[in-house]
Amino acid sequence: MSNDFILEVKNLKKYFQAGRPSWFSLNEDYIHAVDDVDLQLRRGEVIALVGESGCGKSTLSLTLMGLEKATEGSIIFEGKDITHIDDRQRKKIRQRIQMVFQDPYESLNPTQTIEEIVTEPLIVHGISPNLDERRERVRRALEDAGLKPAESYLHRFPHQLSGGQRQRVVIAGALVLEPHLLLADEPVSMLDVSIRAEIINLLADLRKSRGISVIFITHDLGTVGYFADRVAVMYLGRIVEIGTMTDVLKNPQHPYTQALLSVIPVPNPRLRKKRIILQGETPNPIDLPSGCRFHPRCPVAIDICKQNDPDLIRVSETHQAACLLLNKVTVT
Amino acid sequence: MAVQTVELKPSTGSLSRPSSWTTLGKNRIGLVGLIMLVAAVVVAVFASVLAPYDPKTSEGITSSDIYQRPSSAHLLGTDDAGKDVLSSFIYGSRVSLIVGFFAAFISIVIGGIIGIVAGFYGGRLENILMRFTDTMLVIPDLPLIIVIVALTKPSLLNIIFVIGLLGWTTTARLVRSQTLAVKSRKFVLRARAIGAGNWHIIQHHILPLVLPLLVVNAILVISLAILEESTLSFLGLGDPTVISWGQMLNFAFGRGAMSAGAWWALVAPGFGIVWIVLALTLLGHGLEQVLNPRLESHHLMPGRPAVQQEAMLGISARSSRNPKPVVLDIQNLSIHYISEDKPPARAVENVSFQLHEGELMGLVGESGCGKTTLMMALMKLLPAAGQIVNGKVLFNNQDLTAMSEEEIADVRWSAISIIFQGAMNALNPVRTVGEQIAEAIKKHVAIYHEAQVDERVSELLELVGIAEEHKDHFPHQYSGGMRQRAMIAMALACSPQVVIADEPTTALDVMIQAQILELLDDLRKKLGLAIIFVTHDLGVVAEMCDSVLVMYGGVTAEYASVDTIYNAPRHPYTQELLKAFPDLSKPEKRLSSIPGYPPKLDALPVGCRFAPRCPLAFERCFIEMPALHSLNGGDHIASCHLVEN
Repeated sequence: MSNDFILEVKNLKKYFQAGRPSWFSLNEDYIHAVDDVDLQLRRGEVIALVGESGCGKSTLSLTLMGLEKATEGSIIFEGKDITHIDDRQRKKIRQRIQMVFQDPYESLNPTQTIEEIVTEPLIVHGISPNLDERRERVRRALEDAGLKPAESYLHRFPHQLSGGQRQRVVIAGALVLEPHLLLADEPVSMLDVSIRAEIINLLADLRKSRGISVIFITHDLGTVGYFADRVAVMYLGRIVEIGTMTDVLKNPQHPYTQALLSVIPVPNPRLRKKRIILQGETPNPIDLPSGCRFHPRCPVAIDICKQNDPDLIRVSETHQAACLLLNKVTVT
Repeated sequence: MAVQTVELKPSTGSLSRPSSWTTLGKNRIGLVGLIMLVAAVVVAVFASVLAPYDPKTSEGITSSDIYQRPSSAHLLGTDDAGKDVLSSFIYGSRVSLIVGFFAAFISIVIGGIIGIVAGFYGGRLENILMRFTDTMLVIPDLPLIIVIVALTKPSLLNIIFVIGLLGWTTTARLVRSQTLAVKSRKFVLRARAIGAGNWHIIQHHILPLVLPLLVVNAILVISLAILEESTLSFLGLGDPTVISWGQMLNFAFGRGAMSAGAWWALVAPGFGIVWIVLALTLLGHGLEQVLNPRLESHHLMPGRPAVQQEAMLGISARSSRNPKPVVLDIQNLSIHYISEDKPPARAVENVSFQLHEGELMGLVGESGCGKTTLMMALMKLLPAAGQIVNGKVLFNNQDLTAMSEEEIADVRWSAISIIFQGAMNALNPVRTVGEQIAEAIKKHVAIYHEAQVDERVSELLELVGIAEEHKDHFPHQYSGGMRQRAMIAMALACSPQVVIADEPTTALDVMIQAQILELLDDLRKKLGLAIIFVTHDLGVVAEMCDSVLVMYGGVTAEYASVDTIYNAPRHPYTQELLKAFPDLSKPEKRLSSIPGYPPKLDALPVGCRFAPRCPLAFERCFIEMPALHSLNGGDHIASCHLVEN
């Protein structure tokens, strides 16, 4: 892991318009899907983005990919500002940032063979016009993704493969372009528990062998415990806590992180612990609470929380959390 | 080869699945239609060979030949001009088919292009195109065609164009809907993420999935075009220089075939039109079935009473640890899926467990292990192909497997209820949640007054933590967590003793999951429920359950108290599964996985079902299926040769 930053995100915002303006009302409501996010990722680093539905993690990844246009802020990839580039340049960038999706059953076109699926990126970018060379790249990508021997998979259709195998095909499709950054949006949550580790170990190996940086989006912190270097916890469009794995797991500072960690079930009945179960649901990202966004559900909120919206405050060199009660109170 | 295969395959677009040709072959309706159509095409192509006379010439025809009855010289008699009806009939097929195919081709191309462009690009373009389509749809086709043809030259080419140019509207709408549906699928997003442009996406992703629909629609459009041509000709607007079936009818009617009693002059062309349209309709119907295979074995049929074989000597897990009475006693239950042409899929074999009052049992297993089949069988909700072939389901000492459909309908919901997997999406979107809960109550409890039902609904909503005001809201106004609570309320409507929760928290956020689990636990304590919690999430099971049944490949792998399962598991599958499950208390631990895949139920291995993936397997495991061995005097059961005493 070098000190060279592959990705720098500054003050990123992505708002969606809620409802449509009609003759009767000019609906100015916005869904604050991503609301002022800062993020730095080093080459070869893995960062886990954790949060529940509505926190903006998926929108963030789509915006980073350029599949959604940023409303404000900047995204700097390998030193170049890619926030508002034109289609032609965007296409070039797509070779270096690739995505892996959540649903292995839907991410693949059912009418295409595995070979067609993994070759498609090469065709789109006009890489390796020589047929043999192309086929060799596809074969290598499939084997790097763990599908060996590649020949036996080339002519099959997605419905003939299991969920884990399909996900490997998606990864192969991403690898064939030799990307530098991989955005994995919940890549294992739809797979059986006993095969999740395979995919995660695959990503870990790829990081080691190819130096690919990974942004791993998940709602289940347990799966990335040993794989991610850092963790960022998101709530209502913001990062509320960020630090190394050890920082966040052993010394969580934000009440939301503390609650989240307490309700993640631990597979040992002897360790049944007191769970902080937050009441209610994540509020509507259109109508944001005043002050700290978390205060309506926060078990330890005090008066100033209703007025002041905290930025990320430094806890240690590697650890930050956006809470006014930092280092003072831990929820019990 | 890679480059060639990404080209469009229009004729095989609908046959991307390798078995589609065989499916079409098996589909009798489609096959009949196809044969009929091929017959008509053959007749048209070989008309000059098949027709005994040339209908264009009037050589050797005298006035005495008019309306002659069918005879050996004229198999279908003669028409008003003395010409052979059979020959005209054979040549007439050409015109019908030509007009039909070409006009339909024009319609399909126009409709297809408009549909794809509108559906894919959306926005104002879509608006304009679709409003134009709507306008054209509103205008009645036939009168418009009649007017246009009457005003212009009635030539065959003209007719083809007019029919084609007005017949694209339904195709356009159909194609647009399908384009919209395909556009929103995840693999299209993935194609964009790869960097594909619009044209690439349309060509490689949209078209192959729109084509099957287009093919079916084309068949219909062809038959409509043929009908329209026949109508036009019958009305005298057809091309007078060509013989078509419609023309034949026109002349026959107009020139006194009825009064002359010359039925053959009318029946023959009428029959031709009917034959072709029927052929196309049947073919279209058959193709539709090929493209949307609906499993015939899906509807719920009253189960045949279980075949009581000799009770296999399994060991029922009598647990001495729980003093409460047993509510549900499953003994050696086996369920097979029977299909006509394959050996039965042994979905569940010889599973036993006991559920005590107030107990929370976790049923753990991964995809294909049979846990959902097992739960469905308890309430006899299996599809027609699923049969209980052995064992007993004793509910308060009544054997449910021996009950009739009426008897078990009483038991369902009032004694045992179930929260289905993905239940949050099972609510009817057009009725209020309150109404749906009321429905569950009314079906089972004889309450006469609406007010009593209403009160009970409010009571239930309160029990699950939904505010009263939401009673008259619709499901889309509820969040995911709330919908799940509503499903729980429905399951409790008739105060059951046992509730089966099939993966109730799978699609929910971890915090909502915690809320729902807390709710279930509270309800259990408050109402004295026994709950079977089906899941693949070991963490949840560890948190909540009293006992655990681990299933693999349709059989019991291990069954014991929750502490034993987690801290002293004896079955290798349980051990491996625990290793694969993340544990936040030890975050540095590298997760392991179990290599391989669960067995397919119709191709089960001989011997232990887990042997192919088991790190501790030895010779015997591949030959002999392990029995259910009991440890600790019946409190702990594991089906493994290594556990044998």
